[in-house]
Amino acid sequence: MSIDPKDPRLLRGAPVRQRILDDVQAYVAQHSNIGRIVSVSIGDIPEVGIYVRNQARVAEKVQLPFDQEYWGADVTQEECKARIQKMNDDPDVLGVILQRPVPDHINVRSLQSAIHPLKDLEGMNPASIGNIIYNDVALAPCTAAAAVELVRETGLNMEGLEVVMVGHSEIVGKPAAMMLMAEGATVTVCHHMTRSVAMHSRRADVVVVAVGKAHLIGADMIKPGAVVIDIGINQTDDGIVGDVDTASVIDTAGWVTPVPGGVGPVTVAILMRNATVAHQRQVAAGWLN
Amino acid sequence: MAATKIDGKAFAAQVRGQISEHVQRLKDDHGITPGLAVILVGEDPASEVYVAAKHKQTVEVGMASFEHKLPADTSQEDLFALIDQLNADPTVHGILCQFPVPDHLNERDVVARIDPAKDVDGLSVVNAGLLASGETGLVSCTPLGCLMLLRDQLGNMSGKEAVVIGRSNLFGKPMGQLLLQENCTVTIAHSRTADLPAVCRRADILVAAVGRAEMVKGDWIKPGATVIDVGITRIPHPEKPGKSKLLGDVDYAEALDVASAVTPVPGGVGPMTIACLLANTLTACCRAHGLVEPEGLTA
Repeated sequence: MSIDPKDPRLLRGAPVRQRILDDVQAYVAQHSNIGRIVSVSIGDIPEVGIYVRNQARVAEKVQLPFDQEYWGADVTQEECKARIQKMNDDPDVLGVILQRPVPDHINVRSLQSAIHPLKDLEGMNPASIGNIIYNDVALAPCTAAAAVELVRETGLNMEGLEVVMVGHSEIVGKPAAMMLMAEGATVTVCHHMTRSVAMHSRRADVVVVAVGKAHLIGADMIKPGAVVIDIGINQTDDGIVGDVDTASVIDTAGWVTPVPGGVGPVTVAILMRNATVAHQRQVAAGWLN
Repeated sequence: MAATKIDGKAFAAQVRGQISEHVQRLKDDHGITPGLAVILVGEDPASEVYVAAKHKQTVEVGMASFEHKLPADTSQEDLFALIDQLNADPTVHGILCQFPVPDHLNERDVVARIDPAKDVDGLSVVNAGLLASGETGLVSCTPLGCLMLLRDQLGNMSGKEAVVIGRSNLFGKPMGQLLLQENCTVTIAHSRTADLPAVCRRADILVAAVGRAEMVKGDWIKPGATVIDVGITRIPHPEKPGKSKLLGDVDYAEALDVASAVTPVPGGVGPMTIACLLANTLTACCRAHGLVEPEGLTA
Protein backbone atom coordinates (compact mmCIF):
# COMPACT_ATOMS: atom_id res chain seq x y z
CA MET A 1 0.00 0.00 0.00
CA SER A 2 1.51 3.30 -0.94
CA ILE A 3 0.95 6.62 0.80
CA ASP A 4 0.45 9.91 -0.97
CA PRO A 5 3.62 11.86 -0.11
CA LYS A 6 1.45 14.94 0.38
CA ASP A 7 -0.80 13.20 2.94
CA PRO A 8 -1.16 15.81 5.73
CA ARG A 9 -0.84 13.13 8.39
CA LEU A 10 2.79 12.64 7.37
CA LEU A 11 5.10 14.64 9.59
CA ARG A 12 7.78 15.38 7.03
CA GLY A 13 11.29 16.44 7.91
CA ALA A 14 11.90 18.75 4.94
CA PRO A 15 10.14 21.90 6.22
CA VAL A 16 11.68 21.55 9.67
CA ARG A 17 15.10 21.04 8.16
CA GLN A 18 14.67 24.08 5.93
CA ARG A 19 13.70 26.30 8.83
CA ILE A 20 16.68 25.23 10.93
CA LEU A 21 19.07 25.63 8.00
CA ASP A 22 17.73 29.13 7.26
CA ASP A 23 18.53 30.13 10.83
CA VAL A 24 21.99 28.58 10.59
CA GLN A 25 22.70 30.33 7.31
CA ALA A 26 21.66 33.68 8.78
CA TYR A 27 23.94 33.09 11.76
CA VAL A 28 26.89 32.15 9.60
CA ALA A 29 26.36 35.20 7.40
CA GLN A 30 26.75 37.39 10.49
CA HIS A 31 29.86 35.58 11.73
CA SER A 32 32.27 35.43 8.82
CA ASN A 33 35.18 34.11 10.92
CA ILE A 34 33.22 31.19 12.36
CA GLY A 35 35.98 28.64 11.71
CA ARG A 36 35.58 25.24 10.13
CA ILE A 37 33.94 21.95 10.93
CA VAL A 38 36.33 19.02 10.73
CA SER A 39 34.90 15.63 9.82
CA VAL A 40 37.16 12.72 10.73
CA SER A 41 36.74 9.34 9.03
CA ILE A 42 39.04 6.53 10.10
CA GLY A 43 39.78 3.64 7.73
CA ASP A 44 38.01 3.05 4.45
CA ILE A 45 34.42 2.25 5.42
CA PRO A 46 32.05 2.72 2.47
CA GLU A 47 28.86 3.69 4.34
CA VAL A 48 30.77 6.44 6.16
CA GLY A 49 31.46 8.09 2.81
CA ILE A 50 27.71 8.54 2.22
CA TYR A 51 27.21 10.35 5.56
CA VAL A 52 30.19 12.61 5.01
CA ARG A 53 29.17 13.63 1.50
CA ASN A 54 25.67 14.40 2.76
CA GLN A 55 26.98 16.51 5.65
CA ALA A 56 29.44 18.31 3.37
CA ARG A 57 26.66 19.16 0.92
CA VAL A 58 24.44 20.62 3.66
CA ALA A 59 27.37 22.54 5.19
CA GLU A 60 28.13 24.06 1.82
CA LYS A 61 24.50 25.14 1.48
CA VAL A 62 24.68 27.14 4.72
CA GLN A 63 28.25 28.25 3.95
CA LEU A 64 29.88 26.57 6.90
CA PRO A 65 33.46 25.59 6.01
CA PHE A 66 33.66 21.78 6.16
CA ASP A 67 36.96 19.87 6.08
CA GLN A 68 36.99 16.18 5.34
CA GLU A 69 39.87 14.34 6.93
CA TYR A 70 40.48 10.68 6.12
CA TRP A 71 42.84 8.88 8.46
CA GLY A 72 44.32 5.58 7.35
CA ALA A 73 43.04 2.28 8.76
CA ASP A 74 46.44 1.71 10.41
CA VAL A 75 46.41 4.91 12.50
CA THR A 76 46.86 4.19 16.23
CA GLN A 77 44.53 5.21 19.05
CA GLU A 78 47.24 7.45 20.52
CA GLU A 79 47.82 9.19 17.21
CA CYS A 80 44.06 9.81 16.81
CA LYS A 81 43.89 11.25 20.30
CA ALA A 82 46.86 13.50 19.68
CA ARG A 83 45.31 14.82 16.47
CA ILE A 84 41.98 15.49 18.21
CA GLN A 85 43.76 17.34 21.00
CA LYS A 86 45.44 19.49 18.40
CA MET A 87 42.02 20.36 16.99
CA ASN A 88 40.78 21.22 20.48
CA ASP A 89 43.58 23.78 20.70
CA ASP A 90 43.17 25.14 17.17
CA PRO A 91 40.98 28.29 17.28
CA ASP A 92 40.16 27.84 13.59
CA VAL A 93 38.47 24.47 14.26
CA LEU A 94 34.87 25.23 15.18
CA GLY A 95 33.94 21.66 15.91
CA VAL A 96 34.77 18.03 15.29
CA ILE A 97 32.61 15.22 13.89
CA LEU A 98 33.95 11.73 14.46
CA GLN A 99 32.32 9.51 11.82
CA ARG A 100 31.28 5.99 12.81
CA PRO A 101 31.87 3.11 12.49
CA VAL A 102 35.63 3.06 13.04
CA PRO A 103 38.08 0.15 12.61
CA ASP A 104 38.05 -2.46 15.40
CA HIS A 105 41.34 -1.41 16.99
CA ILE A 106 40.02 2.10 17.66
CA ASN A 107 38.14 2.80 20.91
CA VAL A 108 35.52 5.21 19.65
CA ARG A 109 34.18 6.10 23.12
CA SER A 110 37.59 7.17 24.30
CA LEU A 111 38.04 9.39 21.23
CA GLN A 112 34.59 10.94 21.67
CA SER A 113 35.57 11.78 25.23
CA ALA A 114 38.74 13.43 23.91
CA ILE A 115 36.77 15.97 21.88
CA HIS A 116 36.35 19.12 23.97
CA PRO A 117 32.68 19.53 25.04
CA LEU A 118 32.57 22.97 23.38
CA LYS A 119 33.67 21.41 20.07
CA ASP A 120 31.56 18.29 20.42
CA LEU A 121 29.07 18.87 17.58
CA GLU A 122 27.54 15.41 17.97
CA GLY A 123 26.95 15.74 21.72
CA MET A 124 28.71 12.45 22.50
CA ASN A 125 31.25 13.44 25.17
CA PRO A 126 30.12 12.23 28.65
CA ALA A 127 30.09 15.87 29.77
CA SER A 128 27.75 16.71 26.86
CA ILE A 129 25.43 13.83 27.82
CA GLY A 130 25.59 14.99 31.44
CA ASN A 131 24.52 18.47 30.35
CA ILE A 132 21.47 16.94 28.67
CA ILE A 133 20.59 15.12 31.88
CA TYR A 134 20.87 18.42 33.74
CA ASN A 135 18.47 20.13 31.27
CA ASP A 136 21.13 22.04 29.35
CA VAL A 137 19.98 20.64 26.02
CA ALA A 138 21.50 23.04 23.47
CA LEU A 139 24.32 20.72 22.29
CA ALA A 140 22.40 17.47 22.08
CA PRO A 141 22.98 14.27 20.13
CA CYS A 142 21.57 15.09 16.69
CA THR A 143 19.08 12.26 16.19
CA ALA A 144 17.53 12.70 19.62
CA ALA A 145 17.26 16.45 19.08
CA ALA A 146 15.69 15.88 15.66
CA ALA A 147 13.02 13.67 17.21
CA VAL A 148 12.18 16.39 19.76
CA GLU A 149 12.08 19.02 17.02
CA LEU A 150 9.54 16.95 15.07
CA VAL A 151 7.32 16.53 18.14
CA ARG A 152 7.50 20.29 18.60
CA GLU A 153 6.45 20.72 14.96
CA THR A 154 3.00 19.24 15.72
CA GLY A 155 2.27 22.28 17.90
CA LEU A 156 1.20 20.12 20.83
CA ASN A 157 1.99 21.45 24.28
CA MET A 158 4.55 19.01 25.66
CA GLU A 159 3.76 19.68 29.31
CA GLY A 160 2.01 16.66 30.78
CA LEU A 161 2.10 14.74 27.49
CA GLU A 162 2.46 10.97 27.88
CA VAL A 163 5.53 9.96 25.89
CA VAL A 164 6.64 6.38 25.34
CA MET A 165 10.18 5.91 24.11
CA VAL A 166 10.76 2.49 22.59
CA GLY A 167 14.49 1.73 22.72
CA HIS A 168 16.99 2.79 25.37
CA SER A 169 20.20 3.25 23.42
CA GLU A 170 22.82 5.65 24.76
CA ILE A 171 22.91 7.75 21.59
CA VAL A 172 19.20 8.09 20.84
CA GLY A 173 16.69 6.65 23.30
CA LYS A 174 18.05 7.89 26.60
CA PRO A 175 18.93 11.45 25.50
CA ALA A 176 15.59 11.82 23.66
CA ALA A 177 13.77 10.66 26.80
CA MET A 178 15.64 13.18 28.94
CA MET A 179 15.01 16.01 26.49
CA LEU A 180 11.28 15.30 26.28
CA MET A 181 11.14 15.13 30.07
CA ALA A 182 12.86 18.52 30.26
CA GLU A 183 9.95 19.81 28.12
CA GLY A 184 7.51 18.62 30.77
CA ALA A 185 6.41 15.29 29.30
CA THR A 186 5.90 12.18 31.42
CA VAL A 187 8.29 9.76 29.76
CA THR A 188 8.33 5.97 29.93
CA VAL A 189 11.32 4.16 28.45
CA CYS A 190 10.62 0.67 27.04
CA HIS A 191 13.15 -1.78 25.66
CA HIS A 192 13.81 -5.43 24.84
CA MET A 193 13.01 -6.54 28.40
CA THR A 194 9.70 -4.67 28.63
CA ARG A 195 6.90 -7.16 29.21
CA SER A 196 4.39 -5.45 26.94
CA VAL A 197 5.47 -2.55 24.78
CA ALA A 198 1.92 -2.36 23.37
CA MET A 199 0.47 -1.78 26.83
CA HIS A 200 2.58 1.37 27.05
CA SER A 201 2.50 2.54 23.44
CA ARG A 202 -1.32 2.30 23.31
CA ARG A 203 -1.76 4.87 26.06
CA ALA A 204 0.88 7.27 24.70
CA ASP A 205 0.23 10.70 23.21
CA VAL A 206 3.67 10.46 21.60
CA VAL A 207 5.52 7.26 20.64
CA VAL A 208 9.18 7.58 19.67
CA VAL A 209 10.69 4.41 18.23
CA ALA A 210 14.40 3.66 17.87
CA VAL A 211 15.09 -0.06 17.94
CA GLY A 212 16.10 -1.05 14.41
CA LYS A 213 13.36 -3.64 13.81
CA ALA A 214 11.47 -3.17 10.56
CA HIS A 215 7.76 -2.49 11.06
CA LEU A 216 7.77 -3.37 14.77
CA ILE A 217 5.02 -0.84 15.51
CA GLY A 218 1.66 -1.37 13.82
CA ALA A 219 -1.69 0.39 14.07
CA ASP A 220 -2.86 -1.85 16.94
CA MET A 221 -0.10 -0.43 19.13
CA ILE A 222 -1.05 3.22 18.67
CA LYS A 223 -3.65 5.39 20.38
CA PRO A 224 -5.89 7.21 17.91
CA GLY A 225 -4.51 10.67 17.22
CA ALA A 226 -1.06 10.00 18.64
CA VAL A 227 2.23 11.40 17.32
CA VAL A 228 4.53 8.66 16.03
CA ILE A 229 8.21 9.48 15.51
CA ASP A 230 10.12 6.76 13.64
CA ILE A 231 13.88 6.83 14.09
CA GLY A 232 14.56 3.35 12.69
CA ILE A 233 16.34 2.83 9.39
CA ASN A 234 16.15 -0.77 8.17
CA GLN A 235 17.39 -2.14 4.88
CA THR A 236 14.84 -4.66 3.57
CA ASP A 237 13.95 -6.29 0.25
CA ASP A 238 11.39 -3.51 -0.18
CA GLY A 239 14.04 -0.82 0.28
CA ILE A 240 14.61 1.32 3.36
CA VAL A 241 11.82 1.14 5.94
CA GLY A 242 11.43 2.39 9.50
CA ASP A 243 10.55 0.68 12.78
CA VAL A 244 6.95 1.74 12.20
CA ASP A 245 4.56 0.22 9.67
CA THR A 246 3.73 3.67 8.31
CA ALA A 247 1.04 2.56 5.89
CA SER A 248 -0.90 0.83 8.66
CA VAL A 249 -0.30 3.43 11.39
CA ILE A 250 -1.24 6.44 9.29
CA ASP A 251 -4.98 5.74 9.60
CA THR A 252 -4.78 5.65 13.41
CA ALA A 253 -2.11 8.18 14.30
CA GLY A 254 -2.53 11.93 14.18
CA TRP A 255 0.98 12.36 12.80
CA VAL A 256 3.62 9.89 11.66
CA THR A 257 7.12 10.63 10.35
CA PRO A 258 7.94 8.87 7.07
CA VAL A 259 11.12 6.84 6.52
CA PRO A 260 12.98 8.06 4.60
CA GLY A 261 12.15 11.76 4.73
CA GLY A 262 11.25 12.19 8.41
CA VAL A 263 13.85 12.29 11.18
CA GLY A 264 16.87 11.77 8.89
CA PRO A 265 16.83 15.12 7.07
CA VAL A 266 16.34 17.00 10.35
CA THR A 267 19.33 15.23 11.95
CA VAL A 268 21.84 16.80 9.59
CA ALA A 269 20.27 20.22 10.10
CA ILE A 270 20.67 19.81 13.87
CA LEU A 271 24.35 19.01 13.35
CA MET A 272 24.74 22.36 11.59
CA ARG A 273 22.76 24.11 14.30
CA ASN A 274 25.04 22.52 16.91
CA ALA A 275 27.95 24.14 15.08
CA THR A 276 26.42 27.59 15.63
CA VAL A 277 25.67 26.76 19.28
CA ALA A 278 29.28 25.63 19.73
CA HIS A 279 30.40 28.96 18.26
CA GLN A 280 28.20 30.92 20.68
CA ARG A 281 29.56 28.92 23.63
CA GLN A 282 33.16 29.34 22.54
CA VAL A 283 32.60 33.09 22.31
CA ALA A 284 30.94 33.10 25.74
CA ALA A 285 33.87 31.13 27.16
CA GLY A 286 36.25 33.81 25.88
CA TRP A 287 37.91 31.51 23.33
CA LEU A 288 37.02 33.71 20.36
CA ASN A 289 36.41 37.38 19.75
CA MET B 1 -1.06 -9.39 54.94
CA ALA B 2 1.12 -6.58 56.16
CA ALA B 3 4.10 -5.62 54.03
CA THR B 4 7.70 -6.14 55.05
CA LYS B 5 9.34 -3.10 56.59
CA ILE B 6 12.65 -2.57 54.80
CA ASP B 7 15.13 -1.86 57.57
CA GLY B 8 17.57 0.59 56.01
CA LYS B 9 19.37 1.15 59.27
CA ALA B 10 20.30 -2.52 59.62
CA PHE B 11 21.17 -2.83 55.94
CA ALA B 12 23.36 0.29 56.04
CA ALA B 13 25.20 -1.17 59.03
CA GLN B 14 25.78 -4.35 57.05
CA VAL B 15 27.14 -2.32 54.09
CA ARG B 16 29.44 -0.38 56.42
CA GLY B 17 30.65 -3.68 57.85
CA GLN B 18 31.50 -4.89 54.37
CA ILE B 19 33.33 -1.60 53.65
CA SER B 20 35.20 -1.80 56.91
CA GLU B 21 36.47 -5.32 56.11
CA HIS B 22 37.61 -4.21 52.69
CA VAL B 23 39.38 -1.16 54.11
CA GLN B 24 41.23 -3.41 56.54
CA ARG B 25 42.35 -5.65 53.66
CA LEU B 26 43.59 -2.59 51.71
CA LYS B 27 45.64 -1.57 54.73
CA ASP B 28 47.00 -5.06 55.39
CA ASP B 29 47.74 -6.10 51.82
CA HIS B 30 48.68 -2.81 50.17
CA GLY B 31 49.34 -0.28 52.93
CA ILE B 32 46.58 1.94 51.50
CA THR B 33 44.09 3.93 53.59
CA PRO B 34 41.11 5.33 51.66
CA GLY B 35 40.61 9.03 52.43
CA LEU B 36 37.54 11.25 52.26
CA ALA B 37 37.81 15.04 52.33
CA VAL B 38 34.73 17.05 53.30
CA ILE B 39 34.56 20.79 52.74
CA LEU B 40 32.11 22.92 54.70
CA VAL B 41 31.77 26.60 53.82
CA GLY B 42 29.99 28.74 56.44
CA GLU B 43 28.13 27.69 59.56
CA ASP B 44 24.79 26.21 58.51
CA PRO B 45 23.72 24.22 61.60
CA ALA B 46 22.08 21.37 59.65
CA SER B 47 25.18 21.03 57.47
CA GLU B 48 27.39 20.85 60.55
CA VAL B 49 25.32 17.93 61.83
CA TYR B 50 25.66 16.09 58.49
CA VAL B 51 29.38 16.74 58.26
CA ALA B 52 29.90 15.49 61.82
CA ALA B 53 27.93 12.32 61.03
CA LYS B 54 29.97 11.73 57.88
CA HIS B 55 33.22 12.25 59.78
CA LYS B 56 32.20 9.80 62.51
CA GLN B 57 31.20 7.03 60.08
CA THR B 58 34.27 7.58 57.88
CA VAL B 59 36.54 7.04 60.87
CA GLU B 60 34.49 4.06 62.07
CA VAL B 61 35.08 2.11 58.85
CA GLY B 62 38.81 2.80 59.16
CA MET B 63 39.14 5.48 56.49
CA ALA B 64 41.00 8.76 56.83
CA SER B 65 38.69 11.76 57.24
CA PHE B 66 39.89 15.21 56.26
CA GLU B 67 37.64 18.06 57.35
CA HIS B 68 38.05 21.53 55.87
CA LYS B 69 35.90 24.17 57.52
CA LEU B 70 36.04 27.48 55.71
CA PRO B 71 34.49 30.83 56.74
CA ALA B 72 31.23 31.89 55.05
CA ASP B 73 32.96 34.69 53.15
CA THR B 74 35.52 32.39 51.48
CA SER B 75 36.09 33.51 47.90
CA GLN B 76 35.54 31.18 44.99
CA GLU B 77 39.24 31.52 44.22
CA ASP B 78 40.25 30.25 47.67
CA LEU B 79 37.71 27.41 47.58
CA PHE B 80 38.94 26.34 44.13
CA ALA B 81 42.54 26.48 45.35
CA LEU B 82 41.61 24.05 48.13
CA ILE B 83 39.76 21.75 45.71
CA ASP B 84 42.74 21.80 43.33
CA GLN B 85 45.02 20.86 46.19
CA LEU B 86 42.73 17.96 47.21
CA ASN B 87 42.43 16.84 43.57
CA ALA B 88 46.22 16.54 43.48
CA ASP B 89 46.56 14.87 46.90
CA PRO B 90 47.10 11.10 46.48
CA THR B 91 45.88 10.37 50.05
CA VAL B 92 42.46 11.85 49.20
CA HIS B 93 40.23 9.53 47.15
CA GLY B 94 36.91 11.28 47.63
CA ILE B 95 36.03 14.97 47.84
CA LEU B 96 32.67 16.30 48.92
CA CYS B 97 31.59 19.89 49.34
CA GLN B 98 28.62 20.08 51.69
CA PHE B 99 25.68 21.97 50.18
CA PRO B 100 24.15 24.49 50.42
CA VAL B 101 27.11 26.84 49.98
CA PRO B 102 26.76 30.61 50.59
CA ASP B 103 25.02 32.55 47.81
CA HIS B 104 28.17 34.05 46.30
CA LEU B 105 29.35 30.55 45.33
CA ASN B 106 27.82 28.53 42.47
CA GLU B 107 27.19 24.88 43.40
CA ARG B 108 27.51 23.63 39.85
CA ASP B 109 30.86 25.35 39.34
CA VAL B 110 32.08 23.96 42.66
CA VAL B 111 31.15 20.39 41.68
CA ALA B 112 32.69 20.88 38.23
CA ARG B 113 36.00 21.80 39.88
CA ILE B 114 36.25 18.43 41.65
CA ASP B 115 38.10 15.71 39.72
CA PRO B 116 35.27 13.42 38.42
CA ALA B 117 37.25 10.40 39.69
CA LYS B 118 37.05 11.89 43.22
CA ASP B 119 33.48 13.23 42.94
CA VAL B 120 32.05 10.74 45.46
CA ASP B 121 28.71 12.59 45.50
CA GLY B 122 28.45 11.68 41.80
CA LEU B 123 26.94 15.05 40.96
CA SER B 124 29.29 16.40 38.27
CA VAL B 125 28.04 16.55 34.68
CA VAL B 126 30.74 14.08 33.72
CA ASN B 127 29.51 11.47 36.21
CA ALA B 128 25.88 12.14 35.23
CA GLY B 129 26.89 11.58 31.60
CA LEU B 130 28.87 8.43 32.36
CA LEU B 131 25.87 6.97 34.18
CA ALA B 132 23.55 7.82 31.28
CA SER B 133 26.04 6.31 28.83
CA GLY B 134 26.26 3.11 30.85
CA GLU B 135 29.93 3.72 31.55
CA THR B 136 32.02 3.49 34.69
CA GLY B 137 31.73 6.55 36.89
CA LEU B 138 30.62 7.44 40.40
CA VAL B 139 26.90 7.28 41.16
CA SER B 140 25.08 9.78 43.35
CA CYS B 141 24.72 8.35 46.90
CA THR B 142 20.97 8.36 47.61
CA PRO B 143 19.92 6.66 44.33
CA LEU B 144 22.76 4.17 44.80
CA GLY B 145 21.44 3.44 48.30
CA CYS B 146 17.94 2.83 46.92
CA LEU B 147 19.34 0.52 44.27
CA MET B 148 21.15 -1.52 46.94
CA LEU B 149 17.95 -1.84 48.98
CA LEU B 150 16.00 -2.90 45.88
CA ARG B 151 18.61 -5.46 44.87
CA ASP B 152 18.57 -6.88 48.36
CA GLN B 153 14.78 -7.04 48.35
CA LEU B 154 14.09 -8.21 44.79
CA GLY B 155 17.25 -9.66 43.28
CA ASN B 156 16.71 -9.56 39.52
CA MET B 157 14.57 -6.57 38.48
CA SER B 158 14.56 -7.24 34.75
CA GLY B 159 11.20 -6.54 33.07
CA LYS B 160 9.63 -4.95 36.14
CA GLU B 161 7.60 -1.77 35.84
CA ALA B 162 9.36 1.00 37.76
CA VAL B 163 7.97 4.46 38.45
CA VAL B 164 10.08 7.24 39.94
CA ILE B 165 8.16 10.28 41.19
CA GLY B 166 10.33 13.39 40.95
CA ARG B 167 12.77 14.41 38.20
CA SER B 168 15.51 16.17 40.18
CA ASN B 169 19.14 16.09 39.05
CA LEU B 170 20.12 14.94 42.51
CA PHE B 171 17.82 11.95 42.67
CA GLY B 172 15.04 11.29 40.15
CA LYS B 173 17.13 11.31 37.01
CA PRO B 174 20.01 9.13 38.25
CA MET B 175 17.48 6.76 39.90
CA GLY B 176 15.69 6.40 36.55
CA GLN B 177 19.00 5.63 34.83
CA LEU B 178 19.91 3.01 37.43
CA LEU B 179 16.56 1.26 37.07
CA LEU B 180 16.97 1.27 33.27
CA GLN B 181 20.35 -0.39 33.73
CA GLU B 182 18.57 -3.09 35.72
CA ASN B 183 16.33 -3.54 32.64
CA CYS B 184 13.20 -2.19 34.28
CA THR B 185 10.66 -0.38 32.13
CA VAL B 186 11.02 3.08 33.65
CA THR B 187 8.61 6.00 33.92
CA ILE B 188 9.74 9.23 35.54
CA ALA B 189 6.66 11.07 36.79
CA HIS B 190 6.68 14.62 38.11
CA SER B 191 4.64 17.72 38.89
CA ARG B 192 3.38 18.00 35.29
CA THR B 193 2.24 14.38 35.07
CA ALA B 194 -1.42 14.26 34.10
CA ASP B 195 -2.71 11.36 36.23
CA LEU B 196 -0.12 10.57 38.86
CA PRO B 197 -2.12 7.98 40.84
CA ALA B 198 -2.78 5.98 37.65
CA VAL B 199 0.91 6.06 36.71
CA CYS B 200 1.90 4.91 40.20
CA ARG B 201 -0.60 2.03 40.17
CA ARG B 202 1.30 0.43 37.26
CA ALA B 203 4.49 0.18 39.28
CA ASP B 204 6.05 -3.03 40.59
CA ILE B 205 8.72 -0.73 41.98
CA LEU B 206 7.59 2.69 43.18
CA VAL B 207 10.20 5.25 44.25
CA ALA B 208 8.88 8.53 45.64
CA ALA B 209 11.13 11.59 45.93
CA VAL B 210 9.16 14.82 45.90
CA GLY B 211 9.13 16.06 49.48
CA ARG B 212 5.34 16.17 49.98
CA ALA B 213 4.30 14.49 53.17
CA GLU B 214 2.19 11.34 52.72
CA MET B 215 1.23 12.24 49.16
CA VAL B 216 1.26 8.61 47.97
CA LYS B 217 -1.85 6.93 49.33
CA GLY B 218 -2.62 3.24 49.64
CA ASP B 219 -4.82 3.25 46.54
CA TRP B 220 -1.91 4.65 44.46
CA ILE B 221 0.02 1.46 45.08
CA LYS B 222 -0.21 -1.75 43.08
CA PRO B 223 -0.83 -4.72 45.37
CA GLY B 224 2.46 -6.46 46.05
CA ALA B 225 4.65 -3.55 44.92
CA THR B 226 7.97 -2.62 46.50
CA VAL B 227 7.84 0.99 47.70
CA ILE B 228 10.93 3.13 48.36
CA ASP B 229 10.29 6.42 50.12
CA VAL B 230 12.99 9.06 49.67
CA GLY B 231 10.98 12.08 50.82
CA ILE B 232 11.59 13.72 54.18
CA THR B 233 9.26 16.39 55.56
CA ARG B 234 9.60 17.68 59.11
CA ILE B 235 6.34 18.58 60.84
CA PRO B 236 5.52 19.63 64.43
CA HIS B 237 4.89 16.49 66.48
CA PRO B 238 1.12 15.94 66.86
CA GLU B 239 1.38 14.70 70.46
CA LYS B 240 4.61 16.12 71.86
CA PRO B 241 4.58 19.94 71.87
CA GLY B 242 7.91 21.49 70.87
CA LYS B 243 9.06 18.26 69.22
CA SER B 244 9.08 17.49 65.52
CA LYS B 245 8.34 14.39 63.51
CA LEU B 246 9.62 13.17 60.12
CA LEU B 247 7.21 12.09 57.40
CA GLY B 248 7.94 10.49 54.04
CA ASP B 249 6.21 10.99 50.68
CA VAL B 250 4.27 7.77 51.24
CA ASP B 251 1.40 7.23 53.65
CA TYR B 252 3.28 4.47 55.43
CA ALA B 253 0.35 2.97 57.36
CA GLU B 254 -1.76 2.69 54.21
CA ALA B 255 1.14 1.37 52.14
CA LEU B 256 1.74 -1.44 54.63
CA ASP B 257 -1.69 -2.88 53.76
CA VAL B 258 -1.11 -2.95 49.99
CA ALA B 259 2.59 -3.23 49.19
CA SER B 260 4.85 -6.25 49.71
CA ALA B 261 7.69 -4.16 51.11
CA VAL B 262 8.04 -0.51 52.17
CA THR B 263 10.86 1.65 53.52
CA PRO B 264 9.91 3.59 56.64
CA VAL B 265 10.80 7.25 57.27
CA PRO B 266 13.03 7.61 59.20
CA GLY B 267 15.14 4.45 59.12
CA GLY B 268 14.73 3.49 55.47
CA VAL B 269 16.67 5.22 52.71
CA GLY B 270 18.25 7.86 54.98
CA PRO B 271 20.91 5.71 56.62
CA MET B 272 21.97 4.35 53.21
CA THR B 273 23.19 7.73 51.94
CA ILE B 274 26.31 8.01 54.10
CA ALA B 275 27.00 4.28 53.69
CA CYS B 276 27.03 4.88 49.92
CA LEU B 277 29.31 7.89 50.30
CA LEU B 278 31.78 5.58 52.03
CA ALA B 279 31.19 2.91 49.37
CA ASN B 280 32.00 5.45 46.63
CA THR B 281 35.14 6.56 48.45
CA LEU B 282 36.30 2.95 48.68
CA THR B 283 35.47 2.36 45.00
CA ALA B 284 37.33 5.53 43.98
CA CYS B 285 40.33 4.45 46.07
CA CYS B 286 40.46 1.01 44.45
CA ARG B 287 40.24 2.56 40.98
CA ALA B 288 42.95 5.12 41.78
CA HIS B 289 45.28 2.26 42.71
CA GLY B 290 44.24 -0.06 39.88
CA LEU B 291 42.88 -2.60 42.38
CA VAL B 292 39.78 -4.78 42.04
CA GLU B 293 36.64 -2.98 43.22
CA PRO B 294 34.58 -4.52 46.01
CA GLU B 295 31.45 -6.26 44.74
CA GLY B 296 27.92 -4.97 45.26
CA LEU B 297 28.97 -1.48 46.34
CA THR B 298 28.40 0.33 43.07
CA ALA B 299 25.97 0.31 40.14
